Amino acid sequence: MSLVIRDITKRFGGLVAVDGVNLEVQRGEIFSVIGPNGAGKTSLFNVLTGVYRPDCGTITWEGRRISRLAPESIARRGVARTFQNIRLFGAMTVFENVLVAQHSHASYSYLDAMFRTRRFHRQEHRIARKVMDLLDYFGFAEKAEELARNLPYGDQRRLEIARALALEPRLLLLDEPAAGMNPKETDVLRDFIRTIRDDFSLTILLIEHHMNMVMSLSDRVAVLDYGRKIAEGQPAEIRRNPAVIEAYLGASAIGAVTTDA
Amino acid sequence: MNRASVQSFLYPLLTLASVGLLWIFPDTTILLVPVLGILFAGTLIRLHRWSRWSSMAFVLLIGIPVAGLENSFLFELFIQIGIYAALALGLNIVVGMAGLLDLGYAAFFAIGAYTWAIFGSPQANQFIEGGHFPLPGWPYFYLFMALAVITAALVGVLIGLPALRLRGDYLAIVTLGLGEVVRVLANNLDHPVNITNGPKGISPVERPPVDWILAITDRLGLTLQTNHAVALFFYGLVLVVMLAIVLINRRLDRSRFGRAWVAIREDEIAARSMGIPLLRTKVLAFATGAAFSGVMGAIFSAKQLFVSPESFTLLQSITILAMVILGGMGSIQGALLGAAAVTLLNIEVLKSLSEGLNHLRQTGFVLDLGFIKYNFANLSSQLEPAKYERMIFGLIMVLMMIFRPAGLIPETRHKLELEARRKGKAS
Repeated sequence: MSLVIRDITKRFGGLVAVDGVNLEVQRGEIFSVIGPNGAGKTSLFNVLTGVYRPDCGTITWEGRRISRLAPESIARRGVARTFQNIRLFGAMTVFENVLVAQHSHASYSYLDAMFRTRRFHRQEHRIARKVMDLLDYFGFAEKAEELARNLPYGDQRRLEIARALALEPRLLLLDEPAAGMNPKETDVLRDFIRTIRDDFSLTILLIEHHMNMVMSLSDRVAVLDYGRKIAEGQPAEIRRNPAVIEAYLGASAIGAVTTDA
Repeated sequence: MNRASVQSFLYPLLTLASVGLLWIFPDTTILLVPVLGILFAGTLIRLHRWSRWSSMAFVLLIGIPVAGLENSFLFELFIQIGIYAALALGLNIVVGMAGLLDLGYAAFFAIGAYTWAIFGSPQANQFIEGGHFPLPGWPYFYLFMALAVITAALVGVLIGLPALRLRGDYLAIVTLGLGEVVRVLANNLDHPVNITNGPKGISPVERPPVDWILAITDRLGLTLQTNHAVALFFYGLVLVVMLAIVLINRRLDRSRFGRAWVAIREDEIAARSMGIPLLRTKVLAFATGAAFSGVMGAIFSAKQLFVSPESFTLLQSITILAMVILGGMGSIQGALLGAAAVTLLNIEVLKSLSEGLNHLRQTGFVLDLGFIKYNFANLSSQLEPAKYERMIFGLIMVLMMIFRPAGLIPETRHKLELEARRKGKAS
């Protein structure tokens, strides 16, 4: 098991956003977390990446506990993410946005930067070249000098993924990467996610609302409702699970959907 | 001939013309404004390298010193600008780049100033036995410049570690308070042990010797008065330190540390999720800004011969902040321009305006435009622009926020750097 989530609970005052969730994700898997709005998916991501501290439970990644670590420490252990509401560094260029994620892959000191030592030049060159390669891979080479905030929406979404990959992660968390995309763009994105999984040998945890995409892309799916995991399994099983249908469409719809299917 | 070539040709001519004017009328201090204006323009327009650097070197190494020896107030003005420029650059890292609103920045300036003032004057005899003080200017002043950097940076870390856990308005209030703490300490540490001499301040502070300048000018066949040599010395010192700070600032800006600062300003959570250690990066920004301020504090105390808590008030911090905002948050040229503009406005432009109006009043000048007729003799003696400094200042800030919220020279993320990298050449 690559990522193990045990009994994670996160409360905000009286609201239990994540309620005793258990998940196990295997290396190289594309694992989706779905659920109605407010089900606690993004909260779970925030707990995973250290933005929130869980009230109880543990998370282990590659055999080491990462729960209760600061976000930057979790990032350094190879866990990268994108955000549901895009969080790029708007006033920085596309190139710099991706370069920031290489921060921990350079080790030159403050004095190296001040005196422009050989160490500085060597490492800056190395990370700049890696970033340029990544921008080429994403087709951003021409836009490298544009400010991130001036990019069209779709490009901003993809730049977030590029930036996350520049961290050289082994686990990538994608929070609604297809939000605001039309069906055609969603199809392109689906193929793209599979490609990066293979090219960068990633384990991917995905939050998504586009059901077609989730069902055709995921190896396994977990369903959250009111912070609790109500189902887990392969896409085909999830599609038929009455609890899931109830959560999504309300109890009255069960008959209709099952007879329809 | 392309545009850059034409400009490269015209720029030195303009520089020469502005410097020439200053040389012909060295007592007309306001003529420093076009000289500095053209100097700044040179950093912004496209010029060939030779044109830019030779013109700037000419202004700074020949133009201003020659005029300054005629009218030493020019030196004074430039030294003030240089000191404020360094302060603005330091605060620019904290507020402009890292986005940490610091309202107590003058505290680090005070720490630098007191570091030298206490030991470079008889003051230290009050609490260290043996009458070793004042320490002589050579070599101790230079040693204490370095010491001021270290002390200010250390205090920056000490204040930063607790304060920088806060954000936004909370951080502003806490830094405001801590800034006042430093000033109040300086004001009250005259008992039980007299360290700072309280509100009376410390005087006289030793200056580094300038015999060597006199020796050099003698050999060149120039006779220089000592006070001119001192002014020339501080001019040179401030210039060197300021340029060093600009260089360091630029280099940090274009390193993983500078990028981390801007990333944190843009989005803290995203920056952390990309592996940037939050507190360490913020404290680094705070300490760097403090260090710049500290070194200029030491120079300031030696130049003034006198240090008292009066120089390090909240108003001082706010003036420096205004320079950063006016110039353009996050931009190095902006901080320099902001410092020059505010300093000139404060100690030269408004004063000239007051003098001009006074002159018109006394001579009874009558303005007659046909539809409006006004006798300046009737002008109230209350109307003196120099007295309205803060009001005019506030007005300028308001207008800036409306029409140019990003400052006179907004931050630009460097583009050429990438080109240079592609060609495999480090910038």
